[in-house]
Amino acid sequence: MAKFQFTGIEQSILAITIIITLGSFIYEVWRRLRIVLKGRDSLPFDHFGARAWRVFKEVFLHEKVIKDRFWPGLMHALVFWGFIVFGLVTIDHFAIGFGHPLMNEQVHRYYSYIVIPFSIFVLFGIGSLTYRRFISRPKALGKISPTSGLVAFFISVLMITYLLGETDLDPMVWRINWWIHSLIILAFLFLIPRSKHLHLVLSPINIFFKPFQLPEHTAVNIDLEGSEDELDTMLSDLTQMTKNQTLDVFSCVECGRCIDVCPANRGGGLLDPKNHFILDLREPLLKKGNVDVLSEINVEAGWECTTCQACTEVCPVGNHVEKSDEIRRLEVLVEGKVPQEYQKLFMNLQESGNTEGRSDSPLAERLPTYTPDKEYVLWLGCFARYELDPNFTKSVENFANILDVAGITYGVLQKEHCSGDPANRLGDKLTYNMLREHNMELLKEATKVVTLCPHCALNLEKEYSKYSKVNYDVSHHTQVIAELIEEGRIEVKKGSNGKVTYHDPCNLSRMLDEVDAPRVAINAATDDFFELEESGRNTLCCGAGGGLWWKKETKGRTHLVRAEQVVDSSADTVVTGCNFCYGMMNQGLKPLTPEGRSEIQVKDVADIVVENMVSKTHSK
Amino acid sequence: MKIAVLIKQVPGSDSSLPIQNDASWINEEAITYVMNESDNYALEEALQIREQNGNGEVVVISLGPDRVQKVIREGLAKGADRGIQINVDSVGAVDPLVNASLIADAIKEEKFDIVFSGLQSDDLGMGQTGIILGEMLGMSTASLVMETEISDGRIKVKRELEAGYFQWVTMDLPSSITIQSGLNTPRYPSLKGIMGAKKKEINVLTPEVGQSKQSMEKVYIPQSDKQTVMIDGSADQIVEKLVETFRNDIKVI
Ligand code: SF4
Ligand code: SF4
Repeated sequence: MAKFQFTGIEQSILAITIIITLGSFIYEVWRRLRIVLKGRDSLPFDHFGARAWRVFKEVFLHEKVIKDRFWPGLMHALVFWGFIVFGLVTIDHFAIGFGHPLMNEQVHRYYSYIVIPFSIFVLFGIGSLTYRRFISRPKALGKISPTSGLVAFFISVLMITYLLGETDLDPMVWRINWWIHSLIILAFLFLIPRSKHLHLVLSPINIFFKPFQLPEHTAVNIDLEGSEDELDTMLSDLTQMTKNQTLDVFSCVECGRCIDVCPANRGGGLLDPKNHFILDLREPLLKKGNVDVLSEINVEAGWECTTCQACTEVCPVGNHVEKSDEIRRLEVLVEGKVPQEYQKLFMNLQESGNTEGRSDSPLAERLPTYTPDKEYVLWLGCFARYELDPNFTKSVENFANILDVAGITYGVLQKEHCSGDPANRLGDKLTYNMLREHNMELLKEATKVVTLCPHCALNLEKEYSKYSKVNYDVSHHTQVIAELIEEGRIEVKKGSNGKVTYHDPCNLSRMLDEVDAPRVAINAATDDFFELEESGRNTLCCGAGGGLWWKKETKGRTHLVRAEQVVDSSADTVVTGCNFCYGMMNQGLKPLTPEGRSEIQVKDVADIVVENMVSKTHSK
Repeated sequence: MKIAVLIKQVPGSDSSLPIQNDASWINEEAITYVMNESDNYALEEALQIREQNGNGEVVVISLGPDRVQKVIREGLAKGADRGIQINVDSVGAVDPLVNASLIADAIKEEKFDIVFSGLQSDDLGMGQTGIILGEMLGMSTASLVMETEISDGRIKVKRELEAGYFQWVTMDLPSSITIQSGLNTPRYPSLKGIMGAKKKEINVLTPEVGQSKQSMEKVYIPQSDKQTVMIDGSADQIVEKLVETFRNDIKVI
């Protein structure tokens, strides 16, 4: 509480400094928001309730921050909650300076009973965070940031001066203390928009606008019959960031969680999503004052990305971190710079409609052909059709067997082309559109599609519908299996498979948001199931996503990190729900298994279910 | 600098190869065709030379029925300036001498400084067309080239010899050079290239085809079979028998 009146001169100085710092704060924030508003597309306001709820959970409850890194997360939450409580104190603090306190003495006292404990929490929180940042220094935080030190100092001084101000100080000392507190608040205000501490302002907004669908990349419509001007406009659009992407760049708090989870980075690759996909764009945006900066993304890093979306999933401020799509399509469509193995892949896709350049598939010929009277189109995908891992053929047949037993009619499309996933993820949107149009024509009469490949499932439904209306529903085979078990249409009893674990495929767990169905199916077949440490939506990529299956060599060991974790677990059997994961596990486990450790069995969900199914027929 | 690139359209390496009923050739209808691999490198080399020089012309030339327009377009999309299709029914069974003279007739007026072609085609693998063509047009020739340098109207090339040896040769222009795969990094057609290619000219010539000196007797898929032979005896006897078998029967030592 004020012990005396401030002089007129003091009040004038205060007024001027407030105007200057607040003005500069507003200007700096506005400068960034103006760039955001220059971005393509509009900011989404759909699902307003769900968005608001997400802001409540992720901002006010700090759910994600705490879940991912418990102790530092909790410390951060203490500081954040402290800030909220301090909002009123701060306004009152300046009001006192002008001789018009907001709270009378009694209210002030009661409120201080809340604020004082919080100021101690904040001191404790900021102390631990400072210890972490400057003494234990985890790698993901990157090099020491002096502004972080300064901010920690500011916050500590603010708390201490607040606490002192609440004690019985000599009026002169109180006055000096008051001024220190004021100036630090103003200095903080000055610093915020110029540093990562801008997340204080932007992250709630950014979390509100975060896309619900993963991954979110704008569709690229290519009109080869169009005029040259139209083409130029389309190509220049490819370098432009969207509003949402631009907001991400200014919201990033540089925490490095995205690096921690990145399979390419963990495998020893060059890719560092925090810098390559986010921070490298910050300077160019500010310098140009415009959003045509996507070509600044590091190309080599972009080719390393498995597009697994772990980075996007983990980001606490709501960033869609991954931008390999953006840089790859620039390289492919604008520059024509494509690694040789991918040129071969694209040529195969264009010439033969499949990744392998093949003209016949014995598996497809063996299975029944789809006719509109059948319930499901059984979509095979190139991996299964052309036996990229010959063992997987059995898994497809097992699934067909399940459908037979349950009396479900299905058939394959003999003219099925690649869903386009590799072309889509590798940036060749021209080839992608060609494949998509072919498949859309084939699926004209289909109502239900089921596939063992999550990549195909994602493309056939969610990705295709970015371009045109899709009239069929796509299920992943694990969803169909789980449903059949729950409805009692197939009977599975718990068998002995040793210790069983499940590797969540990125495309199924994060992109298609399906983590339960495979577990229902597996748990019906075993009573000795355990989870890997990174599971569900927090799974770790097998290394094959984003077209990397076809990449000849990678710098790092992205393809081995996950297999290594499985070897280190106590699993006897690892079940997966994706043909690529299946193939990667098969390739990775054998050489990694140490002598004396019995070899881990790799199974698809369909395999473990059929092995423990009560009645079986032979697949046709 | 005016550069011609000879491009052949060949069956894709993973395509199935159904053989015609009369065993005279493969059934071309059922095949996916692609650009011959080493021709792709030849094209890239030509484009890079033109880019380094800052001017010049790259012309892609292909021999065959209308399906070959596809590889010509691909060349144009990657940046070649124009194309020539020498329209003949099928190149499958035609011999390199006939091919080379068809091309020679088509381009002798053009006075190319350089003719690049791939070292050999991935289907028949004769490896002669580029060299015969060079002879016919009075050009210097070099095969199996892994690097090129042009200065003062001459071209210096690095040739691949046996057993890891190389040879540098400097020759006068004009020159016909066959290119080994892997000497550069071929580009991918950009969208602008693909759009631009539509406006580029493809000149279609329909020449008389001369009498072939070679003919295709029979096309068939080689039969592989497995034989297991048990060798008994003492270790010395077994080794002796093995060496004899390797030397005389399988001829691997
Ligand atoms: S999508 Fe996956 S591989 Fe790509 S940057 Fe993010 S975490 Fe790394
Ligand atoms: S992008 Fe998100 S996860 Fe990555 S450093 Fe920035 S705030 Fe952290």
